[in-house]
Amino acid sequence: MLQFTVVNHHLCVGQIEILGVSSASMLQVGDTDSVTLYSMFDTPPESVVVGPLAPFPLPEDAGGTMGEA
Amino acid sequence: MNVQDDHTYPIRTANVGSICIISVAQAGTVQFGDRAETHAKIRALALQRQEDHTTAGDIFFESYSLFYLPLPALVDPDYDNGEVVSVIRANCSPNITVGNIQVIAAGSSASIQIGNGMEMTGESRIKHIRQYPRPKPVPPVGCPF
Repeated sequence: MLQFTVVNHHLCVGQIEILGVSSASMLQVGDTDSVTLYSMFDTPPESVVVGPLAPFPLPEDAGGTMGEA
Repeated sequence: MNVQDDHTYPIRTANVGSICIISVAQAGTVQFGDRAETHAKIRALALQRQEDHTTAGDIFFESYSLFYLPLPALVDPDYDNGEVVSVIRANCSPNITVGNIQVIAAGSSASIQIGNGMEMTGESRIKHIRQYPRPKPVPPVGCPF
């Protein structure tokens, strides 16, 4: 049997600043045995663009792509 | 399974000086204290429609495979062969100390916990779709509208 030994020394944190804890995420101050987090996300590609669109040129091998107009 | 001798503690206590949370929404949780098991789950259909929601009808989770795809399984042949890893913890201090916590937002089955937990399972399935009304077929030439 494999033995995994964890020694927790003194833990002292001054400040935690967090913008957001999003879908099925966690923030914990404390001990835990097991954590399992799943996230499935499906979105149209253009809807994740945030901010102004940059006019990108076509990639080098654009002629060889299929189904990407 | 914790090692206990003169210099270790079986359980650590979380000490937080102050906490400032602006928003907890959509089945998010904030807990001060210990917890055994958490099973947080969210299903969301983010729907953007051209037509009004009152006239465009309902949508159903069952229509989209994302909501019934099986979760990926953790493959661990060693565990199956009985090679269990035994964890031994030694806490040198009885406290975890945090001065200040600032969180702007927690949402969608998120968990903020000050304290110990045993098992946390979180699952989120979110699908973004857009719906446009089907164009009405144009009648052939000569037919009355």
